Amino acid sequence: MAGVALWTLNPAGQRTSGEFIDDTLRARAEEKGMTRRLHQAAIFPRQRVEVFRGDDAVSLVNEAFYRRGWTDGLPVVPPTLEAVDRMLLGTASRRSEVLGELDPLKGVASVEKVAVNAVMAGCAPEHLPVVLAAVRAIASPEFNLRGVQTTDENVAPLLIVSGPASERLEINDGFGALGPGWRGNAAIGRAVRLVMHNIGGGWPGAVSFAGLGHPGRYSLCFAENTSANPWNSLHVELGFGADETVLTVMRAESIVNVTGGIEELASVMGSATSAFSMAHGGHVAVVVAPFTARALCDKGWSKDDVKHYLHDEGRMATNLWERLWIKQKVVAASGAPRWLDAAAHSGRLPVVESPDDITVVVAGGDVPIAQQAYFPTWGFPACRISAALEIESGTEG
Amino acid sequence: MCEGFTGQAATTSVGLGMPNLPLSEVPGHVDGQTIDELRENVLNTTLAQVIENLTEAPPPAVAVNEPAPRDVVFEGSFDEVNRLFYENGWSDGLPCVPPTSEKVEAFLRFTDKAPDEELGILLPDNRRATPWNVAVNGVMAGCRPEYMPILVALAQAMADPDYGVEHSGNTPGAETLIFVNGPIVRELGFNFEQGALRDGFQANTTIGRFWRLYLRNVAGFLLHQNDKGTYGNTWRVVLAENEDALATIGWEPLSADFGFARGDNVVTIARYTGSDVLASAFGSSAEQILPYLSDGVLKQQGWQLCFTIGLATGTLRPLLVVSPVLAETIAKSGFTKQDVKQYLYDHARMTAGKFERYIGEYTNLVPGRRTLADFVNLGKAPAVFAESDDPERLVPIVLDPDDFMIAVTGDQLRTNAMTFAHNGMLGYPVAKQIVLPQSWPKGLSV
Repeated sequence: MAGVALWTLNPAGQRTSGEFIDDTLRARAEEKGMTRRLHQAAIFPRQRVEVFRGDDAVSLVNEAFYRRGWTDGLPVVPPTLEAVDRMLLGTASRRSEVLGELDPLKGVASVEKVAVNAVMAGCAPEHLPVVLAAVRAIASPEFNLRGVQTTDENVAPLLIVSGPASERLEINDGFGALGPGWRGNAAIGRAVRLVMHNIGGGWPGAVSFAGLGHPGRYSLCFAENTSANPWNSLHVELGFGADETVLTVMRAESIVNVTGGIEELASVMGSATSAFSMAHGGHVAVVVAPFTARALCDKGWSKDDVKHYLHDEGRMATNLWERLWIKQKVVAASGAPRWLDAAAHSGRLPVVESPDDITVVVAGGDVPIAQQAYFPTWGFPACRISAALEIESGTEG
Repeated sequence: MCEGFTGQAATTSVGLGMPNLPLSEVPGHVDGQTIDELRENVLNTTLAQVIENLTEAPPPAVAVNEPAPRDVVFEGSFDEVNRLFYENGWSDGLPCVPPTSEKVEAFLRFTDKAPDEELGILLPDNRRATPWNVAVNGVMAGCRPEYMPILVALAQAMADPDYGVEHSGNTPGAETLIFVNGPIVRELGFNFEQGALRDGFQANTTIGRFWRLYLRNVAGFLLHQNDKGTYGNTWRVVLAENEDALATIGWEPLSADFGFARGDNVVTIARYTGSDVLASAFGSSAEQILPYLSDGVLKQQGWQLCFTIGLATGTLRPLLVVSPVLAETIAKSGFTKQDVKQYLYDHARMTAGKFERYIGEYTNLVPGRRTLADFVNLGKAPAVFAESDDPERLVPIVLDPDDFMIAVTGDQLRTNAMTFAHNGMLGYPVAKQIVLPQSWPKGLSV
């Protein structure tokens, strides 16, 4: 009994009946021949807390959690009672509060279960309100979590934080905002992924059948670059107060990097990457580089002008659309949105119904070789969910 | 169901064999809403859920895995065991005795039943009650091994359908009182004298605690899940009757109400929503004392009357506990226990109008505003409830004099009594014989 004792909380989803979703996952994993890697799937004490002991208790937790299918493949922070208690200091919500039942396996996302996964992901307590807001968002019907978790497409939740608290939360909005290095970007998105994985049951290959996935499925979270943004902030545009910090959640099919300016962005939007929003409608997002935003603003463009430009110019030739797989295999059967049909006579098809379906955010490093990003979307219904965070404003720690 | 009950519905449906039963809720609680609010809630929320539930396949059901009875789930120090048990919801918040295999085996030596013999099935979790899990919870509660025959009888009583364990999480939050009769009261050192319902004697205290732990760990009642007691209260210390006093005055023990004879070892259980003391009953005869006791019994009756007529007709069993000296004084006037019950039936009465308000206007527990006369006319209540149509006429609070229960215990020389308001069919009285093992040590004392 020497060494450390880690009193860890169970991160796995339980249905309201108390049944662990892991029993279902085990059955799927066996069908799919995945149990060589996940040989401990559904094999664990059926209790809230278990104890790992020994000098290498952290490794024991990690090996057990990995083999039980409770990680994204990277090591996790052991969700001990103490660590979870500390994490819960980040919210005024009761630990038993239920945020929702997460599709497809209907694990109950209680505040405590989410906090357990947030600890594992490496979040600090001040990140918890963002994670909780994100879980509420993905649990709401318009996010279509069941679709996101089970589709063969590579869609992931896109988390955009705008408002004064993003700096204190250490969410990168500048150089490498979509890359590694900042705890906020890395841990918040990872916590949401672990929640989807452990509570909703979205195990790749067993329940989730995204053909390729993408690294945004580890984490996809960044902040709006307030200081480089010449226009009003996303959250102000969406009706929140300037002093609020707001999380916006969308469904992103992938990240497409676009070096150049607004013309290049339009050209990417008008390509086959937008096929799903043309088939189903929905909200897409673009990240505009500070350099580009400033240049456009200097020319007198408002954010609204940017959206209209992208809506008008980011179009696909009808004859290309007619040749697309999605048009032939999906839309031919289910029918195109009315707004797409209405534009057919012009020979150039918009990729979303209206300019306002294009979410514009300024982020990234301020370099003249400007890099924008385009996030095409997948699925229905249209999804852009925003919520003010229960968090103090200000930048002091 | 109403919003506050979804957790209970989800957990209970599993025990009832309908795992993943789709649920639809009404926001808030229907009792506090106007007809318009209720209509709006049902149309805006409930209806959509009903449609969704009927048109979407619920997730597949899988059996809930649990540790096997003899699995050693943990090895560690006393403090560690207690921390683990508490964190996992297996304890009531007080330290437990770690249920080691050794201690459990010691308990099992006090029953001739096989450890895995089925004593009954307990809702809502639908688990089997067995001597093994009885012993585990008995150890945890701090019981002694020789209490085992009582604990087994209690598990059987808990599983008796007449008792209705599935209602243990109902919102009035009533708490079960355990009665013990027979020589075992002395053999195991129960307190049946002064302070009979206070903690302080191991048998009375720990067996009371066992009951609550068993409800938690085997039946599956957990707060904030499927125990919906609005307030609830602490588990009750076991009531042992003073059989010496009963023998002296010639009254039968409480267990005789259930067909047992004096000298039988018996446990009886019933759930009570509350209790009150009738202090200083003054008088030297039954005629002087009984009006006060009768008034005390009457005063506790309100919404509970829906168990007399309307909701679960004929299941209300109010309890009167009297001290030995009071019982003796009453008996001296020639009153048998039956006479006392008859007295209560005749005198603990309220106006029909008040009775009807308790079950109707005030609570809506019996919807439709039916009068007592309506129930009599429908053949669902005895004629005594409709002797006239005067709302000021007096009616009894139970259907039959035998519905009253009377126990004798407490300070032998103080003229106090205690009344308990009963929870009707949601904890109907049930008695079970305590079966001693062949090897039961004669004259065992602690």
